[in-house]
Amino acid sequence: MNYQEAQEIAQKNGEQVVPTVCGMCGPGGPGGGCGIYAFVKAGRFIKVAGMDESPVNRGSLCAKAHAAPQWVYSPDRLTHPLRRIGKKGEGKFEKITWDQAIEQIAETLIRQKKTYGAESLAILSPARRSYSEYIQRFLVAHGSPNYGHSGICAMQRAFTFCYTLGDYPRPDYQESELIIYWGRQPIYSGPVARPAKSFLAAKQRGVKIVAIKPSVEPDVGMADIWVPLRPGTDAALALAMLHVVIREDLLDHKFIDEWCSGFKRLKAHIQQYPPEWAETITGVSTEQIETVARLYATTQRATIDLGNGVEHAPSANDAIRAVSILMAITGHLDRPGGNLFVTPPKNGIKSITLKERITQEMVDKLVGPEFPKQFQPFYEGTSSAYYRILESVLTKKPYAVRGIIAPGTQAIVSTRGSRNVAAALEKLDFFVVADVARTADMPYADIVMPLATSYEVDHSFQMVPGWLMATNPVISPIHSPKSIFDLFFDLSVAMGFGADFWDGSISKAMDDQLKPLGVTMDRLRQKNTGMTFSPGPRTYEKYQSVFNRVSPRLNGAPFLPHGKVAIFNTAFAEAGFNGLPQWCEPPESITGTPELSTNYPLILSDYHTSKNFSAAWQRNLPYLREIQPHPMLHIHPDTAAVRNIEDGDWVKVKSPHGWIKIKAEIYPGIRPDTVMLLHGWWQGCKELGMADTPLLDGGANVNLMYSVDGDKAYDPLITAMTSQTLVQVTKIQNGAEK
Amino acid sequence: MRMNNEYVIWFNHEKCTQCHGCEVACRSWRGLEGQGLLFRSVINVWRGNYPDAKNHSVSVSCLHCVEPACAAVCPVEAIIKRENDGVVEVDESLCIGCKACLDACPYGVPCFGSDDVMKKCDLCLDQAVGESGPPCVATCPGDALTFRKLNPKEKEAHMSYIFGLLE
Repeated sequence: MNYQEAQEIAQKNGEQVVPTVCGMCGPGGPGGGCGIYAFVKAGRFIKVAGMDESPVNRGSLCAKAHAAPQWVYSPDRLTHPLRRIGKKGEGKFEKITWDQAIEQIAETLIRQKKTYGAESLAILSPARRSYSEYIQRFLVAHGSPNYGHSGICAMQRAFTFCYTLGDYPRPDYQESELIIYWGRQPIYSGPVARPAKSFLAAKQRGVKIVAIKPSVEPDVGMADIWVPLRPGTDAALALAMLHVVIREDLLDHKFIDEWCSGFKRLKAHIQQYPPEWAETITGVSTEQIETVARLYATTQRATIDLGNGVEHAPSANDAIRAVSILMAITGHLDRPGGNLFVTPPKNGIKSITLKERITQEMVDKLVGPEFPKQFQPFYEGTSSAYYRILESVLTKKPYAVRGIIAPGTQAIVSTRGSRNVAAALEKLDFFVVADVARTADMPYADIVMPLATSYEVDHSFQMVPGWLMATNPVISPIHSPKSIFDLFFDLSVAMGFGADFWDGSISKAMDDQLKPLGVTMDRLRQKNTGMTFSPGPRTYEKYQSVFNRVSPRLNGAPFLPHGKVAIFNTAFAEAGFNGLPQWCEPPESITGTPELSTNYPLILSDYHTSKNFSAAWQRNLPYLREIQPHPMLHIHPDTAAVRNIEDGDWVKVKSPHGWIKIKAEIYPGIRPDTVMLLHGWWQGCKELGMADTPLLDGGANVNLMYSVDGDKAYDPLITAMTSQTLVQVTKIQNGAEK
Repeated sequence: MRMNNEYVIWFNHEKCTQCHGCEVACRSWRGLEGQGLLFRSVINVWRGNYPDAKNHSVSVSCLHCVEPACAAVCPVEAIIKRENDGVVEVDESLCIGCKACLDACPYGVPCFGSDDVMKKCDLCLDQAVGESGPPCVATCPGDALTFRKLNPKEKEAHMSYIFGLLE
């Protein structure tokens, strides 16, 4: 609805309406950036409606957005700053004031910096939101390079795309006649955002849709072709598709000659990867591999939307670059209907990460580089892999991190190796948890900081392509008035670098960020439904400029040393990695470790996103929990039948690394050799009488189940921790498991 | 008796991505906090077998049937079909909570709160919902739900369509 309609409704009902940004895709901060009208009655936030004026959601909203009042008023909200008084993991705390907590954190971090160096502090990154740059700034101001990025989301694709193609090739949904959604879920997480709406629009336009993933989700149900590959085998599929298009000469030779480097070496190299070879690994038939490869190569306006699914395997970098090369040699780069290089707008908000202060010394001190040090910093600055930060506490290699802040992130359920994570948190010198509601890691915290939701504060703003909108306070803070922004502003002042944080003033900081756009926060706030910007004119075939783009490394070297698509990647080869994409098995798989198949005959993987929860959050909201009350194992009817498993039965899923107890959902749309579930389960829902589940064995935390073997579970270049293993599934009799 | 005006919240499964936005928008706007209290549910339906297994979504709510089976079985005549707009209305003061309507409804629509009184979609006709229509319609990202006025024949065709999707 539009603002006038929202005001009329509010007036009829005796309510007030506040235009603002939805805060449900992430803790305490605007997420997908949907515009909302928030309705308040007698001081209570009661409901929301989608804002027509926002180009992001155009009036629609998802289930999560509508559950916002239940999140704000949840009995799981953190109400006071807490200090640990029991043992780590015990969860015994005393209440302290915000200022006492800030003082204790500041003193500890200063002391640790003196004793162990600034790099002894790491911050585990929450989902990327408008607060992220402030967290990076805080670390640089303190002198630590250890921003703990997950290593399994978005940056993995960005890195490999940039070092192969010079840029992230965006799918051209509007002009395409064929869209391949590859390891991609275009609907969940942002069901009303652009990718989901583009999917629907393409469908209405009669575009041919191909979905490559192990199970049928709603988008696959609406697709024309489903390619049901085994989890973690995307690289093998992509290599075989390259084999087909090269063997059958379905190539753009002019583009290859002018703009690609190393094609001849690829042509020889790819002989070893025919579709018959890939069939044994991926479980996709030779015929289907050939069909899809030909369809893509021979459809002029064809695009690939490569999703997060490829970022969870030791072959992730090779999968992403094989797909990049496929786009390039078939002539689909930066042409209408293909994959586009989108020029960023000239006037964006000011970057405030202090990246100009990053030194080689800081890069050298990374505790567990997300990308090899030769390739740091990347776009988000320097980063260590989230899990490797925690692992350092146990191994002291190359040194032990001593202090960790987890703002809006839950290490035990969000990264792999939950058993090691719990051990690390128990051993860690100093651990700070900051969140809106209870988190899985909280019992291990030395200090817990309760945060206000974005419905309770006046900052920050949402800047998405085409729209800039202020976050407006809907209600007065119910518990803590302090936000995730306040946490880092207050800490900076207390630690003596307040000058780097606008002397503690968030409003000054926001004005500074907005300066290039010629607005202040006050002026932006006066625009009830924000400011819209029209996209620049489309331009194509910008190869000369994109292929010579400078990387964010300190030496300013270009991404592509030859100014061409790096089919043979000399930058990787010189750093000691493979110059051409290869296949590498996951640590446990049917073809890689057949000896495990007797005890563990099925492949397990997990879903990164869901239709009703944000990552590991919001299981405590009744509206959302009722949609999906229990963790469910998607299992093929035949696979279930031979195990005497019926729909809704409790089952034990056991891998070489642990076991979980969840319910079976008989699922016709999944590979019979594969079972899958959603990640992030631990939290109960008080309103529905549902208790928390164990974080380790016997619970429903899938991250416990995977290998974290340093030699096998990672991609050597881009981290991409594995989320495949082998399991056995058995029915739990009488619902009990000893 | 057949009415001339038959209102409906029309559903098109080809535009539904199963996001459940409509379901929760309805609960939030209508204050349906009790467990299982839903005027609208989004359902996943399977067709075929692997590797040709497909799914589709159905957003199910009261269709305000031309000849409502719920009204026919209600022993206390708590359910009536309104003459002017074809709305199937429940008189909560008469309902005895026998749930005969739930057994009779081909779409599984009637729901019962802790007071055991039948509740269901009333098309938000008496609500201040604005020009965007009922919250379920307003929130839908794909326009899979639209508010429409039909004649009885069109309404029956839509009822058959929904029934077919659920089979």
